[in-house]
Amino acid sequence: MPRIIHYRGKCIGCNICYEMQADMWRMSKKDGKATLLKAKVKKDIYMLEINNEQVELSKRTANACPVKIIKVL
Amino acid sequence: MKKSILQLPELLSPVGSYESLQAAIQGGADSIYFGVEQLNMRAKSVNAFGVEDLEEISKICKENNIKCYLTLNTVIYDHDIQLAKKIIKEAKKQGVNSIIASDFAIIELCRKEGMPVHISTQANVSNLESVQFFSQAADVIVLARELTLKQVEQICGNIKRKKIKGVSGEKLKIEIFIHGALCMAVSGKCYMSLHTQNASANRGACTQNCRRPYKVTDLETNEELVIDNEYIMSPKDLCTIDILDLVVHTGADVLKIEGRGKSADYVYTVTKCYREALESIREGNYTKDKIARWTEELSTVYNRGFWEGYYLGRKLGEWTPDPGSIATTKKIYIGKSTKYYPKIQVAEFLVESGSIKKGDAIMIIGPKIGVVKEQLDELYVNGVVSNEAKKGDKITLPFKDKLSASDKVYKIVAN
Repeated sequence: MPRIIHYRGKCIGCNICYEMQADMWRMSKKDGKATLLKAKVKKDIYMLEINNEQVELSKRTANACPVKIIKVL
Repeated sequence: MKKSILQLPELLSPVGSYESLQAAIQGGADSIYFGVEQLNMRAKSVNAFGVEDLEEISKICKENNIKCYLTLNTVIYDHDIQLAKKIIKEAKKQGVNSIIASDFAIIELCRKEGMPVHISTQANVSNLESVQFFSQAADVIVLARELTLKQVEQICGNIKRKKIKGVSGEKLKIEIFIHGALCMAVSGKCYMSLHTQNASANRGACTQNCRRPYKVTDLETNEELVIDNEYIMSPKDLCTIDILDLVVHTGADVLKIEGRGKSADYVYTVTKCYREALESIREGNYTKDKIARWTEELSTVYNRGFWEGYYLGRKLGEWTPDPGSIATTKKIYIGKSTKYYPKIQVAEFLVESGSIKKGDAIMIIGPKIGVVKEQLDELYVNGVVSNEAKKGDKITLPFKDKLSASDKVYKIVAN
C-alpha cells in the first residue's frame, strides 16, 4: 500500500501541504508545523497509508514542500 | 580620519551553533544574534537551535559579558503565533537582550511581553520617517543593506540632532551590516526562490537560485547573448574592512556581520579581523598594511569575492565569478577527539578520514572550545614520533583545554 512519510521536525510551517490537501494536513497552532492527520508517529516521523487515488496529488504536495521532508512511497 | 572617535560601535556576530558562539566570543564580539526553531531567516540550517537552547545560550553570553539577540524575523502566519509567543516568553525569562523582528505581529507580541525589539533589515528601513515610525516600538533599527554610507550618515546625524529616542527612552540606535552575503534584491522583498521552487526566502527557506549561472537567450532568434559573466544575479560579498573608518564615521551604533549559516571558523576569523580593525581605528593606526593583512585573512574563509556593497554608491555589476565560495583555504575533516589526559594536557584524536603530516596547519572546532588553530610541529602517531598519520591511526598533541568527542580536528589546506 502506498504511504506518505513526513519528517516533521524539519518542517518550517510554510502552509503549502495544507493548501494542497486540506483534508490530510493541519497547521498545528501549538508549534506552527504541519501535521499529517491520522498518521502513525514514531520519533517525530509521521507515516500514513493512502490509497492509489491519493498518490498523484500527494506526490505533487511532496514536490511542493520547500524543505523536501514529505515522501510518497 | 575626520574626527577622533571616543566610543567604538558595537560589533555583532552571527551564531548558528555552540561552536560559532564560542568562536564569536574568542574573536571579540560585543554581542551575538541567533535564531531558534523555524521562525528565523535560516530556518533551513541543519543545526538550528531550539527553544530549549535559550537558557544555555543566554547563560554563556552573560558569563562572557556579551549581549544576545534573538532573530524572529520571518513573515508570520496565524498558525505561528503560539510558537512565537512561546519563544518570546522564554527569551524574556532567560534574559535574552532583545528580539530582532520585522513582522508587526512579533513587534506587538514583544510589546505585550515587555521584550525589547530591534527592527530587522527585513523591514528595509531606508529613511528617517521610517526610523521615527519604528522608534515607537524599538530601540535599535537595522537599516536596509542597500543604502549608501552617506544616507546612513544622514540618518544617524538626524537622530542625534532631533534627539530621537527609542521606545525605552534611550537614544535610538542604528545598526548596519559590515560583512557577508548580499542579495541582488532588497532584503525581504525577493520572491525568486518562492516563485521558482515554492521555497520562500522570507520564511528562511531561500534556495539561492540567484547564485547560479544563467544564459540570456533571444527567444525570437534563439540567439544567445554574450555576457561577460554567467552569474548575472549573484553579487559578491560585502566587505568593509578597507572602508571601516568611513563606516565608523557614519555614527552607526552597531556593526553586524552576516552568516548564521556559516561555520565557526568563518565567525572567528571575520569577528577577529573586524575587532582588530576597530581597535586600530580607536588607536589611530588603521594602516594600509594592516588592511591588506586583514583582507588576506578574510579571503581564507567562505566568500564570493569582496566589494563594498552599495555603501559607496557603486552600481551593481560586482558579480561573483563562482557558484560558491572562492576562499583561499579550505578545511578537510580529519577526525574526532577520543581521549584527553588532563594531567599532562594531551589530547588524542582518531584519524577517520584522509591523512595528516608533520608541519600541517590544523584547526580544532568544538562546542566548548570554539575554534583553535595550531601548527603540527611535532606529530605523535600511535604513541611514537612520526611524519604522517593515516585513517585508523591515533594522534596525540599537547592541548590545554579538555576535549570531548564533539571536538573535531580539521586540516587547513590551500583551496
